[in-house]
Amino acid sequence: MDKLKGILGALMQPLLAIIVGLGAGAIAIAIVGGSITETYAEMWKGAFGSFYFFTNTLSRATPIMLIGLGVALAFRAGFFNMGSEGQMVLGALSAAVTAIYLPGPAWLKLVAALLAGVIAGGLWSAFAGWLDARFRMNLLITTLLLNYIASLFAGYVVSYPLMDRSGSAAMAQTVMVDKSVWLPKLFQGMSLHAGFLFALIGAIALAWFMRYMVKGYEIRMMGGNPLFASYGGVNRGRLMLYSMFVSGGFAGLAGAGEVLGTQYRYLDGALTSPGYAWSGIMATLLAGSNPLGTALAAILLAALQTGGMGVERNTDVPLEVSSIIQAVLILFISAKFTYSFFKKKKKAGA
Amino acid sequence: MDQLFDVSLFASTLRMITPILLAALGGALCARVGLFNVGLEGLILIGAFSAIVGNHLTGSVWLAVLFAIVCVLVFSLLLAYMAIHLKANVIVVGISLNFLALGLTTFSLRAIFDVKGAYYDKSMVGLPKWDIPLIKDIPWVGDVVSGHSPLVYLSIVLVACLQYYLFKTVSGFRLLAAGQNPVAARSLGIKVTHIQYGAVLMCGVLCGLAGAQLSLGQVTMFTEGMTAGRGFIALVATMLGQSNPLGVAGASLLFGFMDALSTRLQGYALPVHFTMMLPYVVTIIAMFFFKDKSYLAEARKANESSR
Repeated sequence: MDKLKGILGALMQPLLAIIVGLGAGAIAIAIVGGSITETYAEMWKGAFGSFYFFTNTLSRATPIMLIGLGVALAFRAGFFNMGSEGQMVLGALSAAVTAIYLPGPAWLKLVAALLAGVIAGGLWSAFAGWLDARFRMNLLITTLLLNYIASLFAGYVVSYPLMDRSGSAAMAQTVMVDKSVWLPKLFQGMSLHAGFLFALIGAIALAWFMRYMVKGYEIRMMGGNPLFASYGGVNRGRLMLYSMFVSGGFAGLAGAGEVLGTQYRYLDGALTSPGYAWSGIMATLLAGSNPLGTALAAILLAALQTGGMGVERNTDVPLEVSSIIQAVLILFISAKFTYSFFKKKKKAGA
Repeated sequence: MDQLFDVSLFASTLRMITPILLAALGGALCARVGLFNVGLEGLILIGAFSAIVGNHLTGSVWLAVLFAIVCVLVFSLLLAYMAIHLKANVIVVGISLNFLALGLTTFSLRAIFDVKGAYYDKSMVGLPKWDIPLIKDIPWVGDVVSGHSPLVYLSIVLVACLQYYLFKTVSGFRLLAAGQNPVAARSLGIKVTHIQYGAVLMCGVLCGLAGAQLSLGQVTMFTEGMTAGRGFIALVATMLGQSNPLGVAGASLLFGFMDALSTRLQGYALPVHFTMMLPYVVTIIAMFFFKDKSYLAEARKANESSR
């Protein structure tokens, strides 16, 4: 009974936030003069209306999940990793370059490309961690700045040295990855690719790691009480490097998955303009850095986004209504700390 | 080289730093009362958008600036309420405020002007350019210093005012005390919560001005996400300047110069990507050289409480 109460209590806050978010969306819809019920019905249809739309939502959720997991790990350790965007971009670029230019059999190329994505994302992230651990440069700021540098660098690479000049379109992109190296689709004719499985496995593995592994305990300890952790012999600098590497590795894998599973090339801006990285961070915030919760929250946010596209297709309401709902959701979830804070205070008083 | 470092480069530096400087001063106030305001980016964006809306509605530049300030005040009140009253994590609230600003401005752009991406109206008048008597006749200095929008001059005046306020007045000392040791300040009868609200709201006013300068000061248009990380650069300027108005001004000057230089370098054979990278790279290098351990420790504290 107590357990049930606990679960209900934990669910209360996100549910409340979702309701407030939908309410804010309703106000925005009413202001532009749309029908609220019709808009939300279109949103639901656009996200879950048919098996095709549902797999679309899941394929959009894939990078968000992976990035969210990485950020969740860093948050758990107490590090604000805001650099997922740059880490994802570099991961995607390295995956594309490896898949295109590495000689060898297709399976080797695929594995190497995925690994290259993880390593590139991880190193870029660990670099920020190193700057903090070694030179005490604020991680929040360096990761943010490194985003711009990574995106601009990748943009340079695909507009000059590695630009695809074969087609007539003068887009800043690499040539296409060979068909044999593509990540397999999970269903015939649907956009959902094997990357989704990586995200699912990643979520379960991370949850298990945080719960049962010694390193996972150290990470939680570091995030919960850094002083206690260092007293217990946890080396902050080294832990920071490791967890930032893994965190960035997830983001890099997200980028690699998009290149090998959806776009089949690195196209400038294709990963940054949908805002995958920020959605991933939002998913983490929504789930309070819980890995399994992050996966669910990622699907919810992806549903809001694909649903928003459905809204734009079929009504006059702009697509951005879903970004308002998302932001209000996060804003209200952040008041969660207060909720538990007041409860604790009451208990202490009684 | 002569062509690169000519008069207009320095003049545009002065223009470029204004949004960063104004926002960074606001960030410094927030940092001084112990709130690390990551939402600067969003607040500037809202300011930039509402300035254009105000201009569109009223047709008067000054009412537009006022409108921008009021709009940003509402949002900074939201931030203050969440962070101070509800005790939500300031960084999380700041980040979600950035999301909200981005979503809300693009949504409203569609809803109000029915355009996507950018709004531009030829008939719209931007902020006037003021020539300063006497100074404008000095050969080089006149060209650099004179002929800017009033907000540029206001930002310079504000630096001096804030410096004086923080370190020479009683009320300023109370503000510093509230940030340094809230418990001790409270025991002296200082209303810490009021001071924190005041600082966040003042930051809102400054960000509103920053946004107005961005959208009305030079281009008279609004583009989706036109802040392009300026809010975060302002945050860095706050940190580099150690929340000291004069220091913040110095740090902003560095970034403004890099920003202007990067725009200028685009005319040369360098690829655009590298010139655009310049401000961010220089920021990181600057962070390496200028760091105040005690201030960083404060930021770190805010940084580490991720839940």
